[in-house]
Amino acid sequence: MNAITAPISLPSVNANPGSLRTAWRVFWRGGLMSYGMLFNWARPAIYIPTLIGGPTFQLLFFAALGSYAAGRSPAYFALGNAVQVSALSGIFGMTMAIANERFFSTLPAILATPANRVALFTGRFLPFIANGLFVSLYAIAFGVVFLGVRFEAPTLGVAGLALLVTVFSCTAIGALQGAISLRLRDGLFGANLLMLSFLLFRHGLEAVRQAAAGAGLDRVGGLIAIEAGIGVAYAVAAFALFSYLERSARANATLDVR
Amino acid sequence: MALSAPRHLGDGTMSLPRSVRLIWWVTWFNVRMLLVSEFFVLLTFVSPLIFATLAFFLFRLGHSTGGQTLLYAALGSGMMGVWSTTLFGCGGAIAWQRWEGTLELLVNAPTRYDFILAGQTFGAVIFGFAGILMTIAWGMLLFGMPLTSTFPLLLPLSLFAAVVSLGALGMLIATSFVLYRHANALSNMLEYPIWLVAGLLVPIATLPAWVQPISWLLAPTWGMDAIRGATLQSQPPWFAIGMCFALAVVYYFLARVALRYVLHLARRDATLDLR
Repeated sequence: MNAITAPISLPSVNANPGSLRTAWRVFWRGGLMSYGMLFNWARPAIYIPTLIGGPTFQLLFFAALGSYAAGRSPAYFALGNAVQVSALSGIFGMTMAIANERFFSTLPAILATPANRVALFTGRFLPFIANGLFVSLYAIAFGVVFLGVRFEAPTLGVAGLALLVTVFSCTAIGALQGAISLRLRDGLFGANLLMLSFLLFRHGLEAVRQAAAGAGLDRVGGLIAIEAGIGVAYAVAAFALFSYLERSARANATLDVR
Repeated sequence: MALSAPRHLGDGTMSLPRSVRLIWWVTWFNVRMLLVSEFFVLLTFVSPLIFATLAFFLFRLGHSTGGQTLLYAALGSGMMGVWSTTLFGCGGAIAWQRWEGTLELLVNAPTRYDFILAGQTFGAVIFGFAGILMTIAWGMLLFGMPLTSTFPLLLPLSLFAAVVSLGALGMLIATSFVLYRHANALSNMLEYPIWLVAGLLVPIATLPAWVQPISWLLAPTWGMDAIRGATLQSQPPWFAIGMCFALAVVYYFLARVALRYVLHLARRDATLDLR
């Protein structure tokens, strides 16, 4: 019997790609796996120097520079930088989580599956939002202990909400950069450039500052809403670009081209 | 027929002109390689401009808008770029050679490997110094910064001393970081603390007293002192220039010891090309 003409028996597939349950698995398990596999900094030997050591010294540097050059309290600069360091996880992490699919040659396999694209894409957000929050909270705690950062207790929740929205917005920018990186030779160049643009998430940062000083939701709600809107816009733009590039790559047979 | 090895094989047998030529060519080759790297162009030319702008605005906020202050900030920001380029360019130097598969060839070539490494690190440092010119031009164009020098004739010597000391430090970084598998992660962490401790934008005198002895061991501290001494201060920076050269000698010998140790380990365990 010719091996080529032999019937191929494939294992039966129980999962319905269109079902909500499968989409949830892609969202949850896929997100966690992408964090573990594609985020180059997930190992402690890289994570600790880059996401703990780096932000610590960044806080100290800007607190010293700000208080020397501008004559303002180190706490002011420490809080701003403590929020900004979440971009390390949000921007670099999301860029790696999307762009590394191509670098590690797993992109064609992923795009060949009938997995729900929205679940596939949004699932990558959660681990990086959690990671960004962790890095920021660590930096804030460092600022509270060593640099005089203070929060008004009654509006602590508002500050937390503003921080969460800011980290989401930042991760969404990272997703857009990740989608752009599918077409670039060096995707991390754009991520580095974004990190240097300290103007990112201005509204969220302002909301955190004001909430820390005692402003309630009635006063900073608008800023938080604007930041959330910006984040959603970035996320939608990122998904649209990702979908467009997927179609374009299929049409031009450039899925694997680097 | 027995093969006879050429006379320049092995340590210490290369003539001075050959050594200088080797270092020069590797330096030039590395500068050209860095020029086509988007990451290093960003690190050397864009990042210092952003930090210089931040510093100018912060000093303006503190009502320090004099020309001397702006020049102080421009030089400091430029030196921050030099340090970043040195750190990233040298920290991963040997690791990259491993990745690219050229380390074995270079180590076994009939030239001294420490000279090759010296050329590579000088390339990174000289490339980094181009960033200082950018920040000065940026300050002059956008912020009306005056370009003055209290000791213009000493400025080239100050720059040379800073390049030599940072180049030697780069060699030490290259040979010691290779022991750590994730050299780039270490580089990510060491950018800000040296900017701070070396007094590039914040005077060392404003930092806690225990930081000052650490700053004395760092080439960027004395390199910055030498350059600022020749441009801003009323006393010639002879001491800072001397410290640059003294530290360069110390760094170079430490780097050679580290390099011998690393290469010995790699040859003994046959891990020269392992990634």
